[in-house]
Amino acid sequence: MEKKSYVKPTIVRHSIGVMNKYGRPPATVPMSRLAGFDVKELVAQYGSPLYVLSVNQLRQQYQNLFRAFSTRYPGTRVAYSYKTNYLKAICSILHSEGAWAEVVSGFEYDIARDLDMPGDKIIFNGPYKTREELTRAFTEGAMVNLDNYDEIQVCEGLADEMGKKLPVGVRVNMDLNNPPWHKFGFNIEAGHAYEAVKRIQTGGKLDVTGLHIHVGTYVDDVNIYAAAARGLVSFYTYIKEQLGVRLKYWDMGGGYASHNTLNWAWQSAEYTCPTVDQYAEVICPILLNGPFGSGDVPKLFIEPGRALVDEPISMITTVVAQKRLPGGKRGVIVDAGMNVLSSVQWYNYNFQTVQDSGVTVEDTILYGGLCMNIDVLRQSAALPPVRRGEHLVIPHVGAYNISQSWQFIYLRPAVIAVDDGKIHVIKSRETRDYVQKMEQVPDEFQTYRTVNRK
Amino acid sequence: MSEIFSSELTMSKNGFLFDHGSGLTYTLNATGQFIFHLLESGKKSTHILEKLITEFDVTEDTARKDLDDFYRQLKELGLIEQ
Repeated sequence: MEKKSYVKPTIVRHSIGVMNKYGRPPATVPMSRLAGFDVKELVAQYGSPLYVLSVNQLRQQYQNLFRAFSTRYPGTRVAYSYKTNYLKAICSILHSEGAWAEVVSGFEYDIARDLDMPGDKIIFNGPYKTREELTRAFTEGAMVNLDNYDEIQVCEGLADEMGKKLPVGVRVNMDLNNPPWHKFGFNIEAGHAYEAVKRIQTGGKLDVTGLHIHVGTYVDDVNIYAAAARGLVSFYTYIKEQLGVRLKYWDMGGGYASHNTLNWAWQSAEYTCPTVDQYAEVICPILLNGPFGSGDVPKLFIEPGRALVDEPISMITTVVAQKRLPGGKRGVIVDAGMNVLSSVQWYNYNFQTVQDSGVTVEDTILYGGLCMNIDVLRQSAALPPVRRGEHLVIPHVGAYNISQSWQFIYLRPAVIAVDDGKIHVIKSRETRDYVQKMEQVPDEFQTYRTVNRK
Repeated sequence: MSEIFSSELTMSKNGFLFDHGSGLTYTLNATGQFIFHLLESGKKSTHILEKLITEFDVTEDTARKDLDDFYRQLKELGLIEQ
């Protein structure tokens, strides 16, 4: 007699109020293949956990975003926000599509130069730039956006040394969101931005040629961008009249959302995440109404990161154990911790099964594999039965998780890129030698060794 | 009704379970229903394990682990007492 196919037995209590009209179907459709490859085979070859990049998808994200903005504002340039994921292969792919580099430190600047990005295709932002980094940036023709008076002073000193007037951008902020983002640049409403531009222009050593704003991170309300664009237009109108400033560019920064649901969001990102066209549609027409004629249109820069790299990268994890918690809730432990998925602080990631586990789902808490109580990857997910050794795929993990990962307890995973059916390892799995390469143990700390050997 | 259950339970053909004591409802998947019927007819856990292995494509090791987890779950949900 042929045996019946087996699924782990489950019983699920029905609850009232957990679903609503926006509820999404539980993720019980198995995702056995990723970027065209069998998930189990990928793990067998490259280990688990594993980051998997779809190169085609990354290119599409860029092309779509560039099209959305450049068709609405001619001459738009996209500068990729390196900090979201500065793996050299990823930056290279985006540069080959035409992206400039947006960097926020000397470390990132060096990566861009190593990848043969010329200085005049690099935007240098960030609140902390050393004198040496600024010198190099100005010498190589990078666009430098100033954040504070200390930087203004340093740059004026550099202008003296270099014997020429240096073009600079000024970072501004406005009261757009709650809480407001006041960290970067000078506030417009308080008059600080005007004072800063006036201070720079009267100094005579620097010339304000750009305005930069970064409205936030994961901003899924396009009205915030509209308000920021209106604020930039009116500020430019004013400083043009009062101080004779002529902008060569304005920079709308980044913060564009991706298809991941925030922890505190009521609705799924499928319903709330704007398309790139919706962002472009509010920003571009407002800026095109700025105080200029057809001959002196400032270039528009945007600095997306998350919106480019989040969705093309998925993570494969493996279930290592499960347990029952007091109250009957199921806990599942996987081999990836929050050290390689730091965005679990913000996102309710989807966890997709790889194998067919039936359609009955159970409320589950997903734990990372770190020996730390806070290592929870998802407080509540509707998951079908899974068992030790089976895999779960977490889509859309490309932004921040790799650049913000920290080595802790375990070695960090490899990153592979799938491109037209070919697999490339773009970052190898860490080794213990690599992790401990910078350590030294003085001999006098090791006397116990001889004692122990006796 | 088996003595093992804490209160009277009724299950429909498709695995919808009603607890007459609490008024709560549950859904069991096919394997869960299979085990529930055996428990209902008073079968011991060793018998249930054997039945699982004979009728389903599953190893003894896996079946034993899953049964343990299923019992733990029934207990945490207050459906069985032991």
